[in-house]
Amino acid sequence: MERGNPLLDDYVLSLTGTPRPSVCFLPSASGDADHYVVRFYKAFADRADASHITLFRREAGARDLRAHLLSQDLIYVGGGSLVSLLGVWRAHGIDVILREAWSRGVVLCGLSAGALCWFDRALTAYYGRPEPVGGLGFLPWSFTAHYDSEPERREEFHRRVAAGMPRGFAADDGAALHFRRRDLLRAVTSKPDACAYSLRVVADEVKEDKLEATYLGDDPCPAHRPPLVSAADRFAPRPQPPAVAA
Amino acid sequence: MAARRIVALGGHEFKRRPEELAVVHHLLGFTGADSPRVCFIPTAGGDDHSGIADFYLALDGADYRPSHLSLFRRERERVDVRRHLLSQDLIYVAGGSMLNLLAVWRAHGLPRILAEAWERGIVLAGQSAGAMCWFDYGITASLGEPRPYPGLGLLPGSLCVHYARDPSRRSAYHRAVSGGYPPGYALDDGAGVLFEGQSAAEAFAGRRDSRVIRVEANGRGAAREVPLRPEPLAPPPPPPEDAAIAEMRELRLGRGRGAGLALRG
Repeated sequence: MERGNPLLDDYVLSLTGTPRPSVCFLPSASGDADHYVVRFYKAFADRADASHITLFRREAGARDLRAHLLSQDLIYVGGGSLVSLLGVWRAHGIDVILREAWSRGVVLCGLSAGALCWFDRALTAYYGRPEPVGGLGFLPWSFTAHYDSEPERREEFHRRVAAGMPRGFAADDGAALHFRRRDLLRAVTSKPDACAYSLRVVADEVKEDKLEATYLGDDPCPAHRPPLVSAADRFAPRPQPPAVAA
Repeated sequence: MAARRIVALGGHEFKRRPEELAVVHHLLGFTGADSPRVCFIPTAGGDDHSGIADFYLALDGADYRPSHLSLFRRERERVDVRRHLLSQDLIYVAGGSMLNLLAVWRAHGLPRILAEAWERGIVLAGQSAGAMCWFDYGITASLGEPRPYPGLGLLPGSLCVHYARDPSRRSAYHRAVSGGYPPGYALDDGAGVLFEGQSAAEAFAGRRDSRVIRVEANGRGAAREVPLRPEPLAPPPPPPEDAAIAEMRELRLGRGRGAGLALRG
């Protein structure tokens, strides 16, 4: 849901493999902010069966959250506060339902807090300084978003990985990591210069590697759709833009 | 030890209506401070923008120092939640989902800080979910139909809000109390009870017809209602003629819709 840039939305929709997928938005991390819900419908309503779940006005939404979520092709989690997101989800049992949805093949995606939540550990910056928070742990790695726009995250991420946080990934604004089961399948971007990184400890030193990423804007498909996941063998790395200083 | 005080409100909004403003001025009076520091906590409504704006705008011109605590959106500055809350004279908790309020607070470690604020004599207040949260349990509609849900337990017993407006809460409360849940109070919109320590010390009504009712089991499998006599609140003081407001009004007249108040958060 980047403003004026539908490339990542196109990408996640394409992963469902259906022409008109059902997509449910979970704006919990923003406190179900009205303007965010409106943005979701603007971005998705014309090409998907779009719905959202509010956990602040339960009387107004879907009665059976589990049945509704399990019937989706794609679940889209919005940004906001990771800590608040996890608190609200656990109170309503959404964490358990999402694990079931994931194991049944529903595509899960999200940005910022909605991306951090899937990992074992994530760097969040609600209180100002980035700090690690335990996520849902579907993916056994660590993760941080906004790697380019909030430079203090890099230093803290390196420090934490060196101190024993699981090895993991970092993404600039506009970069997305696509996992199949627990493994990274590819990195894609909505901007030519957005990057994604992997971080691991090699010989007691944190090693940060820039991942090969596909800029989705170059895709020649008329609908601006990238190839489906099942055609992963068609994936070819593109020439890398110059590295961006953090 | 400082006096521990909690003010539970059955339904209240920061609107510029006399009955709502009377309640706010009564709350400010409890602090005993000349220019009280008041922090608004809108967690239960998901940090709803319009509620935050109402809080800042309702008391335009009154002598108080307002702030709010957002747990969903990052503020520009680094937030030391504990230090900020413990520096207040009054903490006002807005309504919304009681379930989400407590879940988010617990995720951020707020219950311990709020209990500390209470022990230090900072007045804790709140309406609807923000009132029920202090008790052993409240009657929440967070999951749809009203049902009992446990709160922080700073105050013993139970609380039911919006009593006249929402009959389904009343029946859920009666079922709970007659079925063995601890007794407590039912409040209409506009009504409030001040608790000193763990005892009710004062009942007040911002509207003429706001009721405060003690609800307990009658020993024969049903609930009994014992109405209290809430003190009617004095009308709020007239807003002072504020030069800044007058200036803004001029600006607005001069420039049409261009001028407005810029709000933080």
